[in-house]
Amino acid sequence: MAFVPFDFKRTIPDHSWRGILISVVLLTAGATIAWELYARSASYRPTLNDTSDLWAQARERVKPDSIVIIGDSRALFDMDLAVLEQGLGSRPVQLALAGSCAYPVLADLAADERFRGTVICGIVPRMFFAPGGPLVEASEKALKRYRSWTPAQRVSHQLGMLAEERFAFLKERDLTLAKLLEKLPIPNRTALPPPRIPPPYFQTTERDRRTRMVEECVRPGALQTRIKEGWLPLFTPPPPPSYVPKEKFLAGVGKAIEARFGDTAAAVEKIRARGGKVVFVRFPMTGKLKELEDQATPRVGPWTRLLKDTGAPGIYFEDYPELAGFDCPEWSHLSGPDSVEFTRRLVPYLKTALAGKESVK
Amino acid sequence: MLFNSLTFVVFFIIVVSVYWTLKSWNARKNLLLVASYIFYGAWNPPFALLLFATSALDFYLGARIAAAVEPRLRKAWTTASVVVNLSMLGFFKYGNFLLENFQWLLAQAGIMYQPPHLNIFLPIGISFYTFHSLSYTLDVYRGVAQPTKSLRDFVLAVSFFPQLVAGPIVRAADFLPQCVAPPAPRAGRFIWGLLLMTFGLFQKTVLADTMLSGSADTIFNYPGPLNTLDAWMGVLAFSGQIFFDFAGYSTCAIGAALCLGFELRDNFRFPYAAIGFSDFWRRWHISLSTFLRDFLYIPLGGNRSGPARAAVNLIIVMFLGGLWHGAAWTFVVWGLIHGVLLVIERVCRAIFKDAAWTVSLGVQVLIALVTYVAVCFTWVFFRAGDFATAARLVRAMVGFFPNGEAILTTREILQVAIVSAGLLLAHWLMRNTTIEAVVSRTPRWLVTALWAVMLFAIILNQGSGSAFIYFQF
Repeated sequence: MAFVPFDFKRTIPDHSWRGILISVVLLTAGATIAWELYARSASYRPTLNDTSDLWAQARERVKPDSIVIIGDSRALFDMDLAVLEQGLGSRPVQLALAGSCAYPVLADLAADERFRGTVICGIVPRMFFAPGGPLVEASEKALKRYRSWTPAQRVSHQLGMLAEERFAFLKERDLTLAKLLEKLPIPNRTALPPPRIPPPYFQTTERDRRTRMVEECVRPGALQTRIKEGWLPLFTPPPPPSYVPKEKFLAGVGKAIEARFGDTAAAVEKIRARGGKVVFVRFPMTGKLKELEDQATPRVGPWTRLLKDTGAPGIYFEDYPELAGFDCPEWSHLSGPDSVEFTRRLVPYLKTALAGKESVK
Repeated sequence: MLFNSLTFVVFFIIVVSVYWTLKSWNARKNLLLVASYIFYGAWNPPFALLLFATSALDFYLGARIAAAVEPRLRKAWTTASVVVNLSMLGFFKYGNFLLENFQWLLAQAGIMYQPPHLNIFLPIGISFYTFHSLSYTLDVYRGVAQPTKSLRDFVLAVSFFPQLVAGPIVRAADFLPQCVAPPAPRAGRFIWGLLLMTFGLFQKTVLADTMLSGSADTIFNYPGPLNTLDAWMGVLAFSGQIFFDFAGYSTCAIGAALCLGFELRDNFRFPYAAIGFSDFWRRWHISLSTFLRDFLYIPLGGNRSGPARAAVNLIIVMFLGGLWHGAAWTFVVWGLIHGVLLVIERVCRAIFKDAAWTVSLGVQVLIALVTYVAVCFTWVFFRAGDFATAARLVRAMVGFFPNGEAILTTREILQVAIVSAGLLLAHWLMRNTTIEAVVSRTPRWLVTALWAVMLFAIILNQGSGSAFIYFQF
């Protein structure tokens, strides 16, 4: 075969490209500014998205003797890191994750041979004992990012934080194109159950993942009502899948929950064997959500068993008048100021629990 | 580093700015080389060494092949290049797959063998850069390319960041001549490159990730029987997703290269308007199909030894083409089905070659639809993680489960239907033209408006897209 010289040339369409580029930049900038103004008019403010990157960054801060908070959104919203730092002597690392099952994170810390610190683990039984599905996947996604965090992803995260701290429209959970499409008022097929829609982003998030409820949610109003209404379907177990017999499915779930008790006890024991400590905390909830949770997972059920199986101390907010009187504006989380006060009152009980004294139940 | 990441935006702005500021052509090429290794190393730095080792070895072997006078020696050096490159690819990509299959074979013979699990980490884009590099020694051997004397130029040809990790598979013979003289700065080419990058990112982040990937994931991950509508919507969604994902990457690559003054060939030419399967492979992942044609099908004898041998050659090529995509039997079956379809098409062509009715518009549209539907069926094997999932989905598509589950929302079905219809219409209307020709005919205000809409949609998407599908290959 003979040598073939390279003679390929791409065609450049015939247009006055400079003018087009300038117009595109101006149009796009105008549309983006308009979108930002709309986002602000809809009460959004610049704050960080609580992404897997932010979680991975926090996970990297865990040192052998760190105090680490794990759990779901209640542990995320209801704990003030500065107050804990004052009370416990070092600033905790916030690893709680909204809409997640904390077990994979507990197992990760147990498997980390370096770690011999303290774990404060928030418990919502329906979430912690979830046998699989989105709650477990949320934690696994964050862990996966931490374990395979590339240099490029780290740089993107730093750049992303700079943008999120300045632009209100950068809200992954609410204002992406995908989320906007989900909000289109299109009637659904009758064959489908009602959608399980997570709440909108009703928090401010700082770089250390200190999270506070936004003021619009603390006050009674449309946002607060929308979030309240969203909890009940989210906390109601989905119907069993049609492709597995109901009895078989329920037996499988029961078996998975049993296994979770055993796995949790083993994870706690691993941490304790290295000199670490674990304390479980049940955070405040109110209203119809509390009624639903008390009915579905009564305290004498999973909570009591968890403490018995693990031998770890637990703090159940209702057991202590100082912790029990808080109001959750949207039934599930404390407001920013209340989270500070709650943490201040919680610290003595945490100290007692971590000291291994009997008074904590 | 992903094209759809903030890191890449900043990286690209810096590289392009410095590149066009530098006066020296050598300095520019040095910059591109460093930038390409940063681009690759930003994923996993140690694997940049493997990339360099592959390139350096083929540079050396290319020189040996060119210097060898005796045909036997030329062949020996070429064989060495093929063996080393494919061994490297085989170890990293197929090591565990081979061990698992070896274990299965022994088990069939009653021998229980537990192989050690090789914790092999697949270097991103290894299938692509191995072929970039290998194409050089093969083309030097064939006399199609002249060997370069510059190690820097060759290493740059293999690692040039726009096409490094997910193609197109740019042959060194196409790239090296462009390293000889510096391209003159041209505003039109640069801005057209930016437009192509925007279009590519729009295809990836908006059409593939936002509009289609959710439905495809929902359907392919569902473990139970589905109703026919949902099964088809999931498969159509994946069919569109993989096109927009991969063609989007290739368009970005072509655009980014143009911004730097380099010209890469098209990798897609409106494949879903293909009339027949051979037409499909002339339009889908063109750089791979031409690679397989030139370096595998033709050396196997092509169609020179009669129809039966040509059919066997086609099946072999598509078998290996399937395996190239991933270390799983589902990919092999995907490739084999395509091989069989190509053979059937040849038989039909032989039978109906003189029939005038085959070229009427109605029949051509019908063949195009049959081609698309068959391609959709093959995508089931490509996307499904195992044969049980693939079988369940194929059965659902042909109406096996009248009481199958409906799991997609009306909105998701509408999204898939609208995007798929738009995709097919666009491919049909564009099947005999190019995007450049269409843009040339489009009024300036419309080009401006469409570009701004695409850019704003990407911004609205907020970088929530995922990695490109072809990165895993």
